[in-house]
Amino acid sequence: MEVTESSILGLIPLCPLLGSLLAFVIGRSQKDLAGWIATLACVITFGLVVSTVFSLSEGEILAFNAFTWFEVGSFDVDFALRFDQLTAVMCLVITGVGSLIHLYSTAYMHDDQGRHRFFCYLNLFMFSMLLLVLGANMLVLFVGWEGVGLCSYLLIGFWYNNLAYASAGRKAFVVNRIGDAGFLFGIFLLYRQFDTVDFIELSTAIASNPELTALYTLVAFCLFIGATGKSAQIPLFVWLPDAMAGPTPVSALIHAATMVTAGVYMMARMNFLFVLAPYTQAIIAVIAVLTAFVAAATALTQNDIKKVLAYSTVSQLGFMFMAAAAGVYWVAVFHLVTHAFFKACLFLGAGSVIHGCHHEQDMRKMGGLLKYMPVTAVTYGISTLAIAGIYPLAGYFSKHAILAALGTTVNPYLELSLNVLMTFASLTAFMTAFYMTRSFAMTFLGDYRGHAHPHESPWQMTMPLVVLASLALFAGIWLVTTLPEYLAPVVGHAGSHHQESIIEGLVHSWVGILGVLVGLLLYTKLLSVPAALFKALRPLSQLSLNKFYFDEIYDFLIVRFLGRISQFLFKTVDQNMIDGAVNGTAALVEVSGEVARSTQSGQVRHYALYMFVATLAVLFFFVFGGKIGG
Amino acid sequence: MEIAFFIMALIILVSGIGVIVSHNPIHSALWLVANLLTVAGLFANLDAHFLAVAQMIVYAGAIMVLVLFVLMLLNLKTERPSSASVMAKVVAAGFGIAFLWMIVPLLNRSFEVFEGPAVGVQGTVKEIGKLLYTKHIFPFEFASILIMAAIVGAVMLSKKKYRQ
Amino acid sequence: MVPVSYYLTLSAIMFTVGVVGVVVRRNSIVVFMCIELMLNAVNLSFVALSHYLGNLNGQIAVFFVMVVAAAEAAVGLAIIISMFRAMKSVETSNADQLNG
Repeated sequence: MEVTESSILGLIPLCPLLGSLLAFVIGRSQKDLAGWIATLACVITFGLVVSTVFSLSEGEILAFNAFTWFEVGSFDVDFALRFDQLTAVMCLVITGVGSLIHLYSTAYMHDDQGRHRFFCYLNLFMFSMLLLVLGANMLVLFVGWEGVGLCSYLLIGFWYNNLAYASAGRKAFVVNRIGDAGFLFGIFLLYRQFDTVDFIELSTAIASNPELTALYTLVAFCLFIGATGKSAQIPLFVWLPDAMAGPTPVSALIHAATMVTAGVYMMARMNFLFVLAPYTQAIIAVIAVLTAFVAAATALTQNDIKKVLAYSTVSQLGFMFMAAAAGVYWVAVFHLVTHAFFKACLFLGAGSVIHGCHHEQDMRKMGGLLKYMPVTAVTYGISTLAIAGIYPLAGYFSKHAILAALGTTVNPYLELSLNVLMTFASLTAFMTAFYMTRSFAMTFLGDYRGHAHPHESPWQMTMPLVVLASLALFAGIWLVTTLPEYLAPVVGHAGSHHQESIIEGLVHSWVGILGVLVGLLLYTKLLSVPAALFKALRPLSQLSLNKFYFDEIYDFLIVRFLGRISQFLFKTVDQNMIDGAVNGTAALVEVSGEVARSTQSGQVRHYALYMFVATLAVLFFFVFGGKIGG
Repeated sequence: MEIAFFIMALIILVSGIGVIVSHNPIHSALWLVANLLTVAGLFANLDAHFLAVAQMIVYAGAIMVLVLFVLMLLNLKTERPSSASVMAKVVAAGFGIAFLWMIVPLLNRSFEVFEGPAVGVQGTVKEIGKLLYTKHIFPFEFASILIMAAIVGAVMLSKKKYRQ
Repeated sequence: MVPVSYYLTLSAIMFTVGVVGVVVRRNSIVVFMCIELMLNAVNLSFVALSHYLGNLNGQIAVFFVMVVAAAEAAVGLAIIISMFRAMKSVETSNADQLNG
């Protein structure tokens, strides 16, 4: 591969950064302009990315060095960007879907007082995410990693006057931080061994030292911990459902299409490391399957439409990690792309519903919206079929490929448990189809159970829905043939894909079709059955409704303990000791001042005495040590 | 001759202590007069004739009379018994004793060499006059300016306020 | 003849007595008198040493000390009279406006 210098590369993250600044500065006075500035910045960036992709010739990689960042002793890191095929795919998704969501937001946030802040943060997020995928070394990636975490916090807690929302933002940031600690540790270990953090240098160094398995296992595990935080896997996924407190476009962009996929991207980028750590890959596979299953099980009983979609995201991320763990990275990226399309469409559709029903999010108060909001309903339906994995929509190809990859993996540590994992994965696929259909049916079919006057949303909101749904419809067929070849220089070759006929495809998607049919049945015709089932499976359904008590367990085990330590540090150390020392010094000065003050009595006699005593002292000095006397 | 010194020294000491101990300021003034007169006597013993007389006329005769005039003019009541707390008196006395303890050996050691009078110089009016009008003429003239300033100052300070 | 150290010792004692008086007494006229006592003690020292050293300059010094003492007496008593007019008392404890 040849590496060419390109300064245009620097413009790609720069545009949204400028947009962020301008949106805030201009938007403070002209609130409505903020959205258009931000959207324009995004669209320009998308244009730049597209032109860069097309100008990329076979096997070429573009590079851009902004400045020398560190030069401390032998530690030498540049703030450098690099554009290869993997980055190209990610950038297209980020800027493309991002532009659509920006457009959507101009209508969704049109009467919010803080919308200039919103668009500033949104563009800032784009900047950070682009840095993440463009980074040429682990440190630039980490800068982007942290940046998206920050923007996530800012955007989740956007309506900060509400304490619950602000706490959700804080929770997201703190949990992410825990993952980041693991990530950093992994970077440190790598640097210590190889003296570099650059991806290309690392890949050559690791490839020429395949015997350091113990180190690679540890590093891979540390990096995966970072991924569990950012990409919401067990045990650090608890922030994602709470993150639904943010505005819906935020949920669509950050928690569906882009930020949460950072972990998958990182694994794909470091594939040369993970391939040499099969033990870690086995652990990742198990955690991924478990996460997907638990999240899907929780989504079955949720009544808030955004919560259903949140757990669905966690579940689908589990699927992506399954593919990554199997070592077939193009499949993980493929599912990442298709998921971005249909999940963004689903979230934006949910936002449209919420907007149309005047901020109602409980599905039990919706229903029959098909006739009020046809465009939203149809696009939502298409995306539902996509996520259920029905041929020939996009989700089918990616999900099918994942299951195939998992089933044929040759990891020695997974030999015994592979069947169990496959069963759970298939079960999860069924549940996915079921609960998504449930959400569709409860929202759009039947009779309207709410009290508002639902209406269709404006074109800025429906146009992106249409675009995303079309991509969900047609992108799959195209990508499944082109993507493996395109990504091969970065992630290696995978098995060849054989063309299926329509019949074969439909047969292979039987799990999804079954889930859709059962869902439709239960939620349009047999309406009493779900409630009865819920009661019958009491302990299980309670477990699902209460999200498997993860938050409660964490609170009991960890949060309370940390809270007690903080209280101690706050009360005893900070207030009593440190403040006491500072205030005590002041008090000491004050007291000594008072004491010294008492010599200023205003009485002449006292002053005369002081003079006399002073003379005495001088005399004393001379008598006992000076020159007079002896 | 030494007897005279010791008697006068005793009177000086007693009257000095009397000055600071008396409750009635008039009594203090009278003790001080006694002290000054006895010191004049010591001056005479030391052949400082002019100064002895000057002491009697100026110090005892003019200054103390002025003080007594002021005392009687102000018609002060007797000072309250506790002029200062007992503690304060003890402290002051303590410092005084410390001072004495340090200075007396100093004074004595420095002048061990001089046991008796060197040359008996008489401090007569003629001798003092000779020195005053030759070597110390400038301070002498300046002293008169000083006295004039004191007079003006005293008059200014004790005047009643102007009524315009 | 009495050794000069006797005179000097007497002078030192009188001086100390004067200092203690200044510190202890509250009536400002009595304080003034104690100051005179101190000046007197120093005069005695001057004269004694002048006699023992055979030098008349000591006595000249005493002369000028007396001049200054007289001037000081005049001004000082004038001040005390103004003080009495203002505060109706000559106690030094009343003149404590510089307290604190």
